[in-house]
Amino acid sequence: MNNVEIATIKKEVIVEASQATAFKVFSEKMDLWWPRTHHIGKAPMTEMVVEPGLNGRWYTRHEDGSEADIGYVLNWDPNSFLGLAWQINGEFQFDPELMTEVEVNFIADGPKRTTVKFEHRNLDRLGTGGKTFESMDEGWGMIIDLYKNIAGQAATL
Amino acid sequence: MGDPTRRMIFEKLRDRPLAVVHIAEGLQVSRPAVSQHLKVLREAKLISINQQGTKNIYQINQEGILAMRNYLDKFWDTALAAFKLAAEQTEKENE
Repeated sequence: MNNVEIATIKKEVIVEASQATAFKVFSEKMDLWWPRTHHIGKAPMTEMVVEPGLNGRWYTRHEDGSEADIGYVLNWDPNSFLGLAWQINGEFQFDPELMTEVEVNFIADGPKRTTVKFEHRNLDRLGTGGKTFESMDEGWGMIIDLYKNIAGQAATL
Repeated sequence: MGDPTRRMIFEKLRDRPLAVVHIAEGLQVSRPAVSQHLKVLREAKLISINQQGTKNIYQINQEGILAMRNYLDKFWDTALAAFKLAAEQTEKENE
């Protein structure tokens, strides 16, 4: 793999839903499906929020009333394209200077069938999580535990 | 990576591996400052050193990046499967 391939994750999902539903559920209704275990807040997660529209905030809400930023909306083109800035680095910390892009294309195959093309780009900017890297041989579970311990967070994102 | 110079150095190395002398080219900072930035990037495991004879060649830490990538790859598989279910459920409810 070259750098560009390493730095990009590509996925494709076919959804038995209209393009409008697919876009809405992915964006405004992200809370419906985002894994509750995956956040960087200091208390259990209660809600995932994507504020509709350009520059809308992308963040989680938590039981203690706090919020944890993930990034913001880069492109908001209902119902065909969503661009999000992912600004959580390899140490599982929010970094406002970091820019990696989550790009989602919604292609209508029929009235109730949509192909969702997903990309997460420029992942090499995330880094690898300092101390955690040395424990790579222990497997992912170990690393996830380390991430928790390092930040003193319940997060496993 | 809040520092703009550090970011520029990292972006240079994304293009190709480089020796310090070439990293410093075109940057408006002293050589010791460049070395300091390289040290920080190494400690963050963003880059690594490849010794070629007497020269240190700096490069992107591919192994570390792959590990991070694999982690996120798995995460997005899980998340997108959950998204598919939620979208299809929502579609049914709308009928």
